[in-house]
Amino acid sequence: MSTPPEGTFTALRGQLQDAATAFADGPGALEGILRGIVDDVERAVREPLEIFPVCHHSPASALAMARRLREKQPKVVYLELCEDMAPLLTELRNCRLPVAVQAFASEIEGFPADWAPLSVVAPVTEASAEYQAIAYALDTPGVDLVLVDRSSDHVFQWETPPAADTGPDAPPADEESALHGDAVGVEIGDLRPRFAELEEHLLRHGRVRHWSEWWHQYVELPLGGSDHDTYRQVMLLIGSLFRRLAPGDQRRVRIDEDRERYMWTRMREHLAATGTDPADCLYVCGAFHAASRVAEFGVGGSDTFVISAPTPTKWRHGLIPSSHAAIEAQFGLAAGSVSIAATEWAKNLKRTGVRPYRLEGQAGTKKSSGPRKAAVPALPAAALPPADRLTGFLQRPPVLDPLDEAELLGWSVEIVRAARRGGYLASTADAIAVFETSILLAGMRDRVRPTPYDFQDAAVTCIEKEAVPGRRDVARLVEIMMGGDRIGQVGYDALPPLARDVHDRLAPLDLKLQQRGVQRALLDIAGRPELERCSDVLWMLRRLLPHGAARPIMGDRRLGERAIQESWDLALGTHQRALIELGYEGVSIEQVLEQRLRRAAYAPRATTAQVLEAVEDAILHLRSRRLADELGTRALEVLAGERSVDGAPEVLRRVRRLLAYYRTGEPVLPPWIESFVKTGYAHYCTLLPTAFTDEDATVRQVAAMLGFLFSMEGLALSLGCDRTQLELALAQSHPQEPSRTALLWAAQTHLGTLSRADLRARCEGLLGNPLVVPAYPRYLSGFVHALEPVPGLADLVVEAVSNAFARLPDPVLLPWLPTLITSLRAGGAELAPLLIREAGRVFPARLAELDSWVPPWRAPQEIPALRPRQAIGAPQGVALLAAHPATCDALAELLGCDGGWASPEAAAPRGAELLAGHPETATALEALLTAG
Amino acid sequence: MSDLLRAPAEIKYAEELDWLESVDDGPKPFSWRLSPKMVRLFVLGSERADGLDRDVSQKWFGDRSIVERAIVTLASDRGLLLIGDPGTGKSWLAELLAAAICRNSTQVVQGTAGTTEDHIKYSWNVSMVIAKGQSRESMIPSPIMTAMETGTIGRVEELTRSTSDVQDALISILSEKYISVPELDSDNIVFAQPGFSVIATANSRDRGVNDLSSALKRRFNFVRIPVVTNKKSEAEIVRFRTEELLRRHQIELDVPPTLLDVLLQSFADLRAASAAAAGDDEKLESALSTAEQIGVLEDAILHSNFFGERALTAHTLASSLVGSLARREPEDLAILNKYLHGVVEPRSKEEGGSWPEFLEGGRDAIATLS
Repeated sequence: MSTPPEGTFTALRGQLQDAATAFADGPGALEGILRGIVDDVERAVREPLEIFPVCHHSPASALAMARRLREKQPKVVYLELCEDMAPLLTELRNCRLPVAVQAFASEIEGFPADWAPLSVVAPVTEASAEYQAIAYALDTPGVDLVLVDRSSDHVFQWETPPAADTGPDAPPADEESALHGDAVGVEIGDLRPRFAELEEHLLRHGRVRHWSEWWHQYVELPLGGSDHDTYRQVMLLIGSLFRRLAPGDQRRVRIDEDRERYMWTRMREHLAATGTDPADCLYVCGAFHAASRVAEFGVGGSDTFVISAPTPTKWRHGLIPSSHAAIEAQFGLAAGSVSIAATEWAKNLKRTGVRPYRLEGQAGTKKSSGPRKAAVPALPAAALPPADRLTGFLQRPPVLDPLDEAELLGWSVEIVRAARRGGYLASTADAIAVFETSILLAGMRDRVRPTPYDFQDAAVTCIEKEAVPGRRDVARLVEIMMGGDRIGQVGYDALPPLARDVHDRLAPLDLKLQQRGVQRALLDIAGRPELERCSDVLWMLRRLLPHGAARPIMGDRRLGERAIQESWDLALGTHQRALIELGYEGVSIEQVLEQRLRRAAYAPRATTAQVLEAVEDAILHLRSRRLADELGTRALEVLAGERSVDGAPEVLRRVRRLLAYYRTGEPVLPPWIESFVKTGYAHYCTLLPTAFTDEDATVRQVAAMLGFLFSMEGLALSLGCDRTQLELALAQSHPQEPSRTALLWAAQTHLGTLSRADLRARCEGLLGNPLVVPAYPRYLSGFVHALEPVPGLADLVVEAVSNAFARLPDPVLLPWLPTLITSLRAGGAELAPLLIREAGRVFPARLAELDSWVPPWRAPQEIPALRPRQAIGAPQGVALLAAHPATCDALAELLGCDGGWASPEAAAPRGAELLAGHPETATALEALLTAG
Repeated sequence: MSDLLRAPAEIKYAEELDWLESVDDGPKPFSWRLSPKMVRLFVLGSERADGLDRDVSQKWFGDRSIVERAIVTLASDRGLLLIGDPGTGKSWLAELLAAAICRNSTQVVQGTAGTTEDHIKYSWNVSMVIAKGQSRESMIPSPIMTAMETGTIGRVEELTRSTSDVQDALISILSEKYISVPELDSDNIVFAQPGFSVIATANSRDRGVNDLSSALKRRFNFVRIPVVTNKKSEAEIVRFRTEELLRRHQIELDVPPTLLDVLLQSFADLRAASAAAAGDDEKLESALSTAEQIGVLEDAILHSNFFGERALTAHTLASSLVGSLARREPEDLAILNKYLHGVVEPRSKEEGGSWPEFLEGGRDAIATLS
């Protein structure tokens, strides 16, 4: 590359000055801008290190790049891409493009904690200049590829916090466009006016709808077949124009300039270290950065920029699948523009005959026919100094392609077919109309040849008659037809170890899990025991990956159960990004799951129920007694610190399950669960009085507390708890609200402080008192909830409910019924069956019996009246025993008591007799007492 | 300016159309009076970059590509069906297009439940038939037939309101481009001249009343006109139409820009509320279109001119708004009441300006109505 002689652009400068004088009122700001643009172009062109300006997703850039590389054969290629991503680029050959290079950090240091996880993605498509440069540099021996842009760490050091870019109004992202997650995107050659009015002006006068179309129409097409110098000068001109017309957003300008300083500093360092001649290098950067005016610009620029040290944050790198839709969504491009660029690229290649670079063994491409040449003979670099190509380009009207009638006809026929498949009434007549309308529209918009966008408009006009929800609209059909969305895939070899391990372990399933789409896996574990390991992996994936990646259709994993058969819907190919991001967290899924469980359990806001869930998961998925014990101990700590009873129902459910599991599967209970029951008993006893009166606690929660206390009571008492504590707690509880009062009564009945007859009488009293009747349903709600802690009360509850139906006035009863149903629904599987079974027992089974049926709570009223009192006073039992002494004698013999039955009268020193028979106890006692 | 109550577009803009025709050097399809680009310029207004000697005002506000698609359709073989919510400017666009293309926007058939096939094709002058027998003289051509004979644009308003058999009379007109008159022995076919086309409008809210047959759908290109939600262009439309209205009534009254903002904002709020509503009872019956806004403003202006103090106040505006939008009792009134208390009241406390007066006016109007 030789530098142009001074004054190459003098003529252009003169013309622009005249133009500025003519359009503005005099030479002033406009002239400054116009001349400045020429200065920028000249400066970049004169730079000894060849600058190659590019624009993202521009087939023209890619084509010019491929041409230039073949021609110049540079020894070093500097690329504007985060420098820490370099080692990954060679893995691109194992992937089907588009994929994105990702830098990911979940444990961050030096950044605010709420930024985590940090993620940067740089998507790579095949129709891009950067892919050409990468493919050339990696596959040509002796060529260095140096990434010079700031590292991922600096992206976040320099940026403001990652804003939540999905505002409340943002449409929900569909699957394809959400492929990048919420990563920050970096891209080579972001080129777009930063001056909203300028963009609006360009769109308006270009008679186009959006920026992508403008670029396609006014830069891409005219530049499609131009020579290197023209391409370079025009791109520099556009970069400089947008730069000079940008409003002064200080922060953004500073970041841009810092990036340029960074890149030039890195390049000079590399040149100095390797001693490469700048003339053998090529610097690929966005056109915006090529027109830089910072002091560090150029091989001879100043070395004043100090690169700040990275933070201690540990970055991990990988490739994730990307898609055209995801790129469009992330970088604000029009839908379909990247696909159209890909089509344009293929067409340009065919038209110009340029041979593109492609990584050796690139997955997802057709094998090239015939052997490749080992080395491309280097063409002599252009010896002529670059002349001023800008003047000619700017003066000449754009050379437009002549109307390609055959192509347009093809499109018209194709869209009608696609529309018909999509459920539209479309016919050949529509194809003709689309063809005609496209040409007319292009004519109205001053174009010789309809662009894909004109064609899209025409197709919508002629075919779309109504919008049917759920059906693809015609505009989308055109996008699909023009190349459609292409979704990349990361090859097996480029996957992180964890993802490879998952694929290896799932190999016995014999499924092509790399493919996109849902696949059904059938696991006959009884028949093929080795599949149990696959099942383990699948359950863990279900826990770790987003919903839909692994979904069990049949089969369940619960404590103490073992599946015989399972079937799964697997979509690992579709959720490849999620799997790859798991790989950043550890080397095996067990490790990741363990970390996640620990993190969940030790989170500052973790609740007891959440920690118990982690315990359960540790047993279910990891079968790790050690981890379960550790997390269980943590649950104990959390419980002791908890002051609310919100989680009580969940805690009760989980502890019951865990207890049942340990009781059946282990010889002794683990110490933590014993302590848990003990602590829980004391804890809930303490909280009970407040919970009964606390307005925030619901009846269900209080019922769950009582459930814990009553159902764990046996274990807790055996471990040294005191029942008095519970009795005191209940005695201290004075609820005001009817449902809780009912709950308290039920608890008292359970403890025996309130007899069932009294409880019944109280209910009767409530129903009989017209002032309290409206509150009766709420008492009933309390009773229904009381079934949880006191299931034995079911018959009384059925009675109370029946009484309600029988005696409550309609205005009270009817509004309450939905509440009853919802509380039974919420109570779930436990309460309703209990109540129904009891009701089935109480009520007659046949309609005929109903007439003669008397409810049991009315009928047996007389029985207690018959039995009572009569027994009191007389020692009936003694008489009976005396009359039939044989039983007592037999029992006495069994117990080792000598001597037969004696009548009460003969009873003298009964105890002494026993002592005489067994003197050992007395002797031992004597020894003890004397020893002291 | 003509002295008609409402002059059709070709009379109202006659001078501008004459001038455009004189400077138009683009290719004109069939018998069009203007080239497609000039038609677009007439509808959407000129810019500096068009390099014209005089300004052409913008007459229809909306997406440029809609107008382009409509013009291109008219130049093609198919009819144009403008479809959209009530008050989105369908008929106005149809009138402008017809005026620009053939200087005649009055060849209109209004689709109603009572429209018959005769209104689309032709009918007979009974007394003349009795006197002279059936002949071309005693035949009364419909506006569509006239358009065919003269090679101009015929219009059908509210196509979906007329019954299916009447709609289907259009099928042969649009495909064969002739109408046969079997009652006559000779000269019994009326052929369409080049340049003939049909612009129909249909209300998307009336969908399903008399849905178009597939055969007819096929002969129309559908251009959907969306409700204007862009505040800036909506303000322009309201201002444009109001000025026209004031001129027509010869009223000298200022519409303060703050009040225009209040009106636009309240419509934007009510639209958002309608979009969020779960059922029909929770949203206003009105489509809340731009035309409705103009209606509210017109009502307020007329009221303040004739009964008020010849100045538009927020109070009057609010009572017009309530009066125009409350169509069902009690649903609409409840919604408006909720809007006034939930949205306007906090805003009037926060922002002040015209809002407190607007709130008071709204309350008074609701109190009167309920």
